[in-house]
Amino acid sequence: MSVNSSYERFFDVPIGPQHPALKEPLFLKLVVEGEHVVAADVDVSYTHRGVEKAMQERNYIQNIYLAERICGICNVAHTLCYCQNVEGLYDVEVPSRALYIRVLVEELARIHSHLLWLGVAAHEIGFDTLFMYVWRDRERVMDLIEEITGNRVTSAINTIGGVRRDIRPETFDRCLKAMDYVEERTKYYKKVCKTDPTIAARCAGVGILKPNDAVRLCAVGPTLRASNVKYDVRADDPYAVHDEVPFNVVVYDTNDAFGRILVRIDEIFESINMVRYCVKHMPTGPVRVRLRLNPPAGEHVSRVEAPRGELIHYVKSNGSEKPERYKVRTPTFENLPALCEMLTSKGNYVVNIADVPVVFASIDPCLSCTSRVAVLDSEKETVWIGRLEGLKRLKR
Amino acid sequence: MREEDVVLKLKEAFGDKVSDFKTAPRRIFFYTPPEHYKEVVKFLVEKLGFVHLQAMTSIDLGKDLEVMPHLGRGLTVSVRTRVPKDKPVVDSIVDVIPSASFHEREVHDMLGVEFKGNLNLKRILLPEDWPEGVHPLRRESQITFPKPIRGGEK
Amino acid sequence: MGIITWSRIRSPWLLHFNTGGCNGCDIEVLAALTPRYDLERFGCLLKGSPRHADVMVVTGPITRQVRDRLIRVYEQMPEPKFVVAVGTCACSGGVFRGCYNVYPGLDAVLPVDAYIPGCPPKPEAIINGVAVLLAKLGGRL
Repeated sequence: MSVNSSYERFFDVPIGPQHPALKEPLFLKLVVEGEHVVAADVDVSYTHRGVEKAMQERNYIQNIYLAERICGICNVAHTLCYCQNVEGLYDVEVPSRALYIRVLVEELARIHSHLLWLGVAAHEIGFDTLFMYVWRDRERVMDLIEEITGNRVTSAINTIGGVRRDIRPETFDRCLKAMDYVEERTKYYKKVCKTDPTIAARCAGVGILKPNDAVRLCAVGPTLRASNVKYDVRADDPYAVHDEVPFNVVVYDTNDAFGRILVRIDEIFESINMVRYCVKHMPTGPVRVRLRLNPPAGEHVSRVEAPRGELIHYVKSNGSEKPERYKVRTPTFENLPALCEMLTSKGNYVVNIADVPVVFASIDPCLSCTSRVAVLDSEKETVWIGRLEGLKRLKR
Repeated sequence: MREEDVVLKLKEAFGDKVSDFKTAPRRIFFYTPPEHYKEVVKFLVEKLGFVHLQAMTSIDLGKDLEVMPHLGRGLTVSVRTRVPKDKPVVDSIVDVIPSASFHEREVHDMLGVEFKGNLNLKRILLPEDWPEGVHPLRRESQITFPKPIRGGEK
Repeated sequence: MGIITWSRIRSPWLLHFNTGGCNGCDIEVLAALTPRYDLERFGCLLKGSPRHADVMVVTGPITRQVRDRLIRVYEQMPEPKFVVAVGTCACSGGVFRGCYNVYPGLDAVLPVDAYIPGCPPKPEAIINGVAVLLAKLGGRL
């Protein structure tokens, strides 16, 4: 191997301290040969806040608020998983109306999260108009969440033993009207995504994850479902009332970022139908069952399908009012090996530096960062520092 | 496959190397000592088809450290194993399930368990200026809190 | 106030830096820039590089790993520069106060000009905070 040939020289491109999709801190190190990325490594220590240790020092009620702030976008999924876990320790039956309200708010949160992601992905492609339109329509869903739970983000509706508030009948009418509006707009966005040539050129064939790689690397969520693997916790291990509320698991077989866009848009339609079903079949009754502060000793595991994939919480209790051990495994952590695989060029499949933001955004990462890139050009011996969007203009 | 079938198959294959079974709808927990941990996991992944590693939980039990990977999709099998705290070494399952590398790095950071066979056991969650050998989730660990650089809040 | 100060107040360019938070405040900062709330009518523009920015909007509790990077980004901003702490975590550590990896607030690391509390603060609160900051600058500069 000749050392002087510029095509056989590897150099490192560091991307950080903010990541290329949702402005969260992350350090992504790419090893690049020419324009193609040959290896990728991820450092996620920026968002480590010591939540698991803090949970051992607070009691079970205070931990609901801590669990909610592990991720602000999927906060409903985290509180739902936490409350299910602790209720499993008590081994108590939650009232049916509370379960329906939980599923209603969870699906509304899924709609808002997927619309948020669609806007951010459009912004990464450079399509700012779509970003502004989608976020304007997302505000209807946020208004609805605020009316039901009291806050737009960090809703705090779930509590141990049920939900904290009941829903008034007028809210249901507004809910159905908002769902009609969102459905009509989402149909328009699906048409835009399928017919626009820019989106197809930037996303089709980019970030390929073959089905057997996806299974071998334990990917979860829409990343896995766009590779033709039918796995959704709501169908395989139903929780709350997901065994009564009908829905379809959305699967596409394109294996690329374009498939992931379509999976998420179709999941918005499925969630809209689930919200309508919950509104129409909402049972009457109490919304909460009161429990004493110390759960019995034991352990429990609870799984939930968060918007990004499978979320799993584990609790071990020794009978006191503070948990002995609480473990949270988020879906983005599980998708990291698959991400590193998607960012590796091999054979005919090449990943350009300018594809990195698109691939990264397509797994819907939920970490925290700002994008700044330093590109070291060893041929010209210059260092260029700029925003990651500048990299998109570098694409030759 | 039902929970009882899996329990029977495990007992047939391993006899008394597996013990302490607990079942619940769609869940199975059991214990195996660290010497047989890797072959039990290999059997579950290759022969019984539990290819998906959901999570790897770990806990400080006082004198021992317990490591428990959870495998499966609908029906989940959780394999418990315990190692003594003064010699926390267990076999790595990275060659059976490649994505276990990230989970084992986290357990190593938080509790200090050594995974023999995992060549990539570097830091994943703790910051780069964290002192070596201090594992936050161990009960006796002495951790120092960050000191403010400017006044304004002490 | 002179014309330079007047023009600076009419077009504050923002740099948004998330230091390891839960993203709740970040999506409210981004929502403040979208058509319903429209922070851009104050002349605010979201820039990517600290060399182009006047105001740094910081969200999230400051973790140990991020501290050096945050200070480096702050030093790269040209004078006059201002820092806004958005959210309770940036103001005082929030729900994570007392955790082993988190500083007790942004003012333990950088000089702060405005605090916007809330968990997360609604976009209206963020607009109010920016308006208060601009009024303060108009009086101070």
